[in-house]
Amino acid sequence: MSHEEHGHEYVPEIATARDGKQYEVQGWQGDFYGGKLGFWLFMLTEVMMFGAMFLTLTYYFSLHHDDFIEASSEFSVLLGGTNTVVLLISALTMGLGLLKMRAGDVKGAKLMIYATMILALVFLAIKGVEWTEDYHDGVFLGLPALQAGNPDSRPLGEILFFGMYFTMTGLHGFHIILGIGLMLWLLKRINAGKVTPEHHILHFNIALYWDLVHLIWVFVFPYFYMIGAGHGH
Amino acid sequence: MDINTYKAQKSGYYKILGGLLLLTAVTLIQPYMFLENATFGIQLMIGAVKAWLIVMYYMHLKGETLIGWTVGFALALVIFFFAVVMTDVHHFQFKDISYISEQHVSAGEHTQHHEE
Amino acid sequence: MSKSYLEAGETHCAIGHPKSVFWQWMLTIDHKRIGLMYAAVIFTFFFVAVFVALTMRIELFAPGAQILDGDTFNQAFTLHGVIMIFLFIIPGVPAVFGNIVMPLMIGAKDVSFPRLNWFTFWLYIFGALIALSSLWTGEGFADTGWTFYAPYSLNTNTNVITTLVAAFVLGMASILTGLNFLVTIHRLRAPGMDFFKMPLFVWGIYATAWIQLLATPVVGITLVLAILEKVFGIGIFDPSKGGDPVLFEHLFWIYSHPAVYLMILPAFGIMSEIIPTFSRREVFGYRTIALSSASIAGIGYLVWGHHLFTSGMSDLAKTIFSFLTFFVAIPTGIKFYDWVATMYKGQIHMTTPMLWALGTMVTFVIGGLTGVTIAMIGADIHLQDTYYTVAHFHYAMLGGVVFLLFAGLHYWFPLMFGRMYNEKHAKRAFWFNFIGFNMLWFPMFIAGYLGMPRRYFDYLPEFQIYHQISFFGALVFITGLIYMFTVLISAIKKGEKVGPNHWNATTLEWHLPSAPPPLENHSKVPYVDFRPYEYHHGDPVVKFNYETMQRID
Ligand code: HEM
Ligand SMILES: [Cu+2]
Repeated sequence: MSHEEHGHEYVPEIATARDGKQYEVQGWQGDFYGGKLGFWLFMLTEVMMFGAMFLTLTYYFSLHHDDFIEASSEFSVLLGGTNTVVLLISALTMGLGLLKMRAGDVKGAKLMIYATMILALVFLAIKGVEWTEDYHDGVFLGLPALQAGNPDSRPLGEILFFGMYFTMTGLHGFHIILGIGLMLWLLKRINAGKVTPEHHILHFNIALYWDLVHLIWVFVFPYFYMIGAGHGH
Repeated sequence: MDINTYKAQKSGYYKILGGLLLLTAVTLIQPYMFLENATFGIQLMIGAVKAWLIVMYYMHLKGETLIGWTVGFALALVIFFFAVVMTDVHHFQFKDISYISEQHVSAGEHTQHHEE
Repeated sequence: MSKSYLEAGETHCAIGHPKSVFWQWMLTIDHKRIGLMYAAVIFTFFFVAVFVALTMRIELFAPGAQILDGDTFNQAFTLHGVIMIFLFIIPGVPAVFGNIVMPLMIGAKDVSFPRLNWFTFWLYIFGALIALSSLWTGEGFADTGWTFYAPYSLNTNTNVITTLVAAFVLGMASILTGLNFLVTIHRLRAPGMDFFKMPLFVWGIYATAWIQLLATPVVGITLVLAILEKVFGIGIFDPSKGGDPVLFEHLFWIYSHPAVYLMILPAFGIMSEIIPTFSRREVFGYRTIALSSASIAGIGYLVWGHHLFTSGMSDLAKTIFSFLTFFVAIPTGIKFYDWVATMYKGQIHMTTPMLWALGTMVTFVIGGLTGVTIAMIGADIHLQDTYYTVAHFHYAMLGGVVFLLFAGLHYWFPLMFGRMYNEKHAKRAFWFNFIGFNMLWFPMFIAGYLGMPRRYFDYLPEFQIYHQISFFGALVFITGLIYMFTVLISAIKKGEKVGPNHWNATTLEWHLPSAPPPLENHSKVPYVDFRPYEYHHGDPVVKFNYETMQRID
């Protein structure tokens, strides 16, 4: 049924009632709202997934309260805070890009996507610096400090805290990388003329995705960097 | 989209950006400046406000009835899961016979200040 | 006469326009073909798991070891459970009939995202292959039971990680199916068909899709955490490292309890189609059935804790969960009363699908009511992890979901293939299944009540009689299964040809231009200004001109 592939416009069917009244039938082709709804539903699965992770985190926060505070106070609020601002601005550029696309300014839209991608890379770079420092300090998944039962072991609650930190920021970072991939694909589709101001569902959904990635960070950041800020260290 | 809506929406984006930056600034200074004993709650509350701004304005949830309901349903479920599981862990009455190791079991320099 | 969707070339493909019939099937995005492929795969797995179970039954014929040692037995029940749950019954009704029938019922040409549907099918196959690969690699298949309870699953050396990865991938496939169906049902209903004009099977699929979408991610991430724990040992779920295995059980059942409603709701939907058709009456209490599906899905999210009554949950949480669990029985009961009331004073036609539906009304009531007994904390402390629980969920899943899946298979068979099976043999097969099933599972209620624990490969001599009755029941049951599938499969090619509306039913999937249906379903999309089950003196009220799909009554 590859109407789009052949470049034919999809013509909706008509249903006729008993009284002869005619009704346009919604087909699966070119259904902007359907695409949007589907993508929102996908994002809800991400919400449930991260929701369950935050539940795990909260559960252990209540079992190992002091260890969590102690471990959190070791993070650099400066690096984490910078990353927060970087993501925030990238959400703006992404949004403006979509706005430009809808207003017909394809070139401007592409520029904004590039800007978003650069900010995403900056985010990853800073994240990389943080992880490398952690690694050199001996705090990393698999290193003795994060394994119970040896002389270098951190307290169990701290191991859990750092373990969840690497898990969740890792998963978040994975989403960022995926987002960059999606943006590259989007640029390709724009250049091929498949995404246009009239047919921009792909752009729309990728912009939503980027906001979701930002949204997750809005909670990841305070939970790991800020709960222990101002305590010791 | 005509030029006026474009301009209006663009300035909307910047306004929200301003709000978000402001809230981020509050996040960053709060643990050192005020209500230091309630950091966790305050931080998450600010997070919730930021999330609300993002969802409503950047993700255009405003005015979406069906999608709004689905989001509400998912959030209600998450809140229920939290409420019940956290109630359970707070009322856990077998602490003394539980096999969950306490924090000071493991060795290492950091454990010292956990010991009573 | 239009061409059938089964004929060569009669399909749209995800990539290109392949000439070869084989590639046309592999790449098809037609919802009907995808549904058929799911059916072929899940029933194959079903039989594999049945024979694994038979092996266990042979082992249990007498106390002590016969043909399996204890460790192999542990792997056998894990394999049985993993296949039955993740590969068979969770995709189950939605993947097969949700795909084949649901779009036809709402007058759609396909699902909302046909290519995603194709991708989902292959994701499912990929997950299945991962699960199977762990049979022959490393230390052998997992021996944890399908529930993967920590901390044992963290410590055992068997291939738990592979199985967890497989479950994760299969979960993604399930999520995408649900997502696709939700958008389809919201967007592609024929003009005029509002939610309360949808057939009840569509309601079942809709409620299920919400569970697939929102519950599955929770277990997905739980499995990921368990994998990380196994690899890095950071202590999640491990009590010796400050973690809490009860959290694993919470997260696991937050999904897996709703998952049992995910299985049963579309199955109930099949029941709600069959009962009015063969009672020749409008379904009683349409709205209450529809809304009870929605409320079962909703309440189903709130009761997972009844699986944790003996796991060291706090007393307060136990009380809350016991209280909430009882509520599930209310909408379930409403459905049963509605079905019985539909049959009251109807002209009941004892066809094979109707026979299966009525048989299920017996077996599922036993499954459901015993569920209420173990929702009581006091009783459950005694019955948890005994054969009583095992019998409960087999009555609910096998005697409920799978029986109704079979009912649907007989009901929609003429629609899918344009041919009819031999009803005399099909009915005989039903009786084998029904009698064998009860003989297989009923003794387990008694054995469990007397204290026979589940997942044991050895037992005290006083339980022998129950195990032996079960064994003979299993033989009868398996005979019935083979009989039934032989009857159906031979009818695909050789059955008598029938028209598009063999049962003279009312819902839209029976108003197609030909049997089997053409690639693009209805000749035209109808305008729906009628309720799904309108009968007058046993005859459908709504009639169509099949050229224009306009109403002519
Ligand atoms: C009428 C509503 C139902 C109620 C009140 C109910 C109640 C329960 C309870 C309380 C348990 C926990 C028993 C224990 O572990 O000691 C349980 C277990 C179980 N139920 Fe149900 N149930 C109902 C319907 C169903 C349905 C429809 C299915 C499947 C389609 C199902 C499948 C299961 C399974 C698989 C288990 C045990 C899982 C395991 O431990 O391996 N139940 N049920
Ligand atoms: Cu349950």
